[in-house]
Amino acid sequence: MTRVSKTMAASAPALALSIDRGEVKRDDRELVRLSQDGTPAAFEELVRRHQQRVCALVGGILRCAEDVEDVAQQVFLKAYLGIKKFDQRAAFSTWLYKIAVNECWDYLRKKKVRPLVYEADLSEEQVSRLDGIVSADRPPADANSRAETRELLDRMLATLPEQDQQLLVLKEMEGFSVQELAEILQLNVNTVKVRLFRARGRIMDVYRRRAISAQKADAGAPQRKR
Amino acid sequence: MTDTNTRMACLEYEALLEDYLEGVLDETSAETARQHLRGCAGCNEAFDRASGSVRLLRIAEPTTAPDTAFARNVMARIGLAEQERTAEHTRFWQPIVALGWRFAATATLAVGVLVSCDIGWSHYARLNVPSARSIEGNLFAPEPARPPANGDEVLMMVAETSHGKQ
Repeated sequence: MTRVSKTMAASAPALALSIDRGEVKRDDRELVRLSQDGTPAAFEELVRRHQQRVCALVGGILRCAEDVEDVAQQVFLKAYLGIKKFDQRAAFSTWLYKIAVNECWDYLRKKKVRPLVYEADLSEEQVSRLDGIVSADRPPADANSRAETRELLDRMLATLPEQDQQLLVLKEMEGFSVQELAEILQLNVNTVKVRLFRARGRIMDVYRRRAISAQKADAGAPQRKR
Repeated sequence: MTDTNTRMACLEYEALLEDYLEGVLDETSAETARQHLRGCAGCNEAFDRASGSVRLLRIAEPTTAPDTAFARNVMARIGLAEQERTAEHTRFWQPIVALGWRFAATATLAVGVLVSCDIGWSHYARLNVPSARSIEGNLFAPEPARPPANGDEVLMMVAETSHGKQ
């Protein structure tokens, strides 16, 4: 017994080093098991692997860039503190995404804010700018325009029910698959597909309504001048 | 939320149309979707709107990826949390441990005092105080013969002895 534990103790630094150097490509299950045995390097590797998706998920739900990294760090901290209880029946990513969703809701509850609520409607100028970007079919080149586009879309998304917003943002903006969305939101895959399809219709209704009202206002402007 | 004049898609085709939009259907299922779209105005309109949303939403940039220090920052935060947890654990047990040490010290002192008292007492008894057995023995044993101090005592002894013999 003593010999086994001595061997394990001796191999732990070597193992951590090999993970650090990325010499061995280990799967998530093995890294989770090593983290449960108390190898911090294994958990760090898990953080590296999942940091982008967790940040995308947190960003998709909070939609305010300044707190995304802080909340994402909190997600990994909670995962680390609870990893010994994780029985690996589900994938590590699924478990992590659930922690992330809960953490986002906790954060929003503590801050007592809804994800994003805009009172003001879009101006004609904003709608026409958005039209131009949609026609070009690619994000604007400069950072300011990109931020503005995101804000305009957020304004339109804010008029939809919360679940529709999450589905659209996570699917179309952050690139999560339907399967992942089903796991994250704890819904049936078919339900996600149906809700997503309807949410797409709703956001387009909002967009078209705004575009039409902007066109009307645009047509009315010269008449008023006359 | 939706316009009153927008047509609804058939409930049983919505999931299929979402898959068709995503381009994840095999050829047979895709043909089923196409056929349905050709014959159903409501689904056709809903599909058009849904397709437009893909273009609309893809113009937005995703959340920026975390910087390279993210993992290190997470591990540093974990380290701090661990330290805090250990400190909290220590804070919780500290009064109990202190009480235990105090009890142990008091008990050791008491045992030490008792042992030293016992040793001292037995040593004293061995040196100065006659034992109970010796006292008991002295009570019942005849007094040992003492040598006469002078001539008178010698005469008295002789007289007592000869008187006893008579």
